[in-house]
Amino acid sequence: MDKRTNEEWVADLRAGGDRQTGALEDLRAIILRGLPYAIAGRLDPNSPQSEALTEEVVQETLMRVLEYLDTFEGRSQFTTWAHKIAVRAALTELRRVRWREVPLPEMDVDDDMDASYREAPDEQASPEEQVAQAEMMKRVNRIIMEELTDKQRQALTAIMEGFPLEEAAGRLGTNRNALYKMLHDARLRLKKRLEKEGLTPQEVLSVFEQAGR
Amino acid sequence: MKIKQFIQRLFGSKQRKPSSGGTSANPSEKMQKMMAMLSATREEELTCDEVFALLDQFTELAAQGEDVAKLMPLVQHHLDMCDDCREEYKVLKSILYGAA
Repeated sequence: MDKRTNEEWVADLRAGGDRQTGALEDLRAIILRGLPYAIAGRLDPNSPQSEALTEEVVQETLMRVLEYLDTFEGRSQFTTWAHKIAVRAALTELRRVRWREVPLPEMDVDDDMDASYREAPDEQASPEEQVAQAEMMKRVNRIIMEELTDKQRQALTAIMEGFPLEEAAGRLGTNRNALYKMLHDARLRLKKRLEKEGLTPQEVLSVFEQAGR
Repeated sequence: MKIKQFIQRLFGSKQRKPSSGGTSANPSEKMQKMMAMLSATREEELTCDEVFALLDQFTELAAQGEDVAKLMPLVQHHLDMCDDCREEYKVLKSILYGAA
């Protein structure tokens, strides 16, 4: 039975005994119907890994639902709330598996502040545009080096490399929420420093967007 | 690591990526990505935990065709900024569409 009202879900899951068992079985079936959407395109749905992940995520979700039942405020359907928990659990595990072999970029900055960017920034750009881009990159990089902490630079590097926030957070000894805050602070610092130097992000962007046109 | 290496890693990296994903943007594209992020940066932003608490409500409204960007602009902004949360939102929305 998955046509319970929110109140019925909460009451049944709190009831204990057969009532709770029945609700957990129904919820398990609902979560199982949703998980293929999380796995699709990320893991072969017919693989043993997919089967193992599904079972692990269902168990974890049911435990979390019971643990956090008191925090459900009824602002959505109860099943949507449960799906949300399952999706988070599934994608967290999928990201971990997918990125576990990829080392996080390491940071060990010294005092070599005169280093400059020497690669051609954009092969499609004209020589003049490449010079302008290289100069702008050097300027932005100087700001990054001066404004951000080592950890902020490392986190920013990881995110620019496409690392999931959650995965980068684990490697940096923090959690996803704290890392988002750290990156938000880093973005704000860079934005304000650009403003202080009379630059807007749009002006920096224009140097790169004009190239090759 | 010297600064030059950091710069090359940030804007010209040859970092190993998962075979089925990751970015392969050139330095210019990465600079554009970073400036787009800075441009969209606001003084006050919701965190991942705050958005997670609202994501079920937000996704149901979106699935009902509501203008969620107008109704819950801070959540929408976070989803624009955070790849992880946006990915979770898209999957949750696809589940709701699938269940409809």
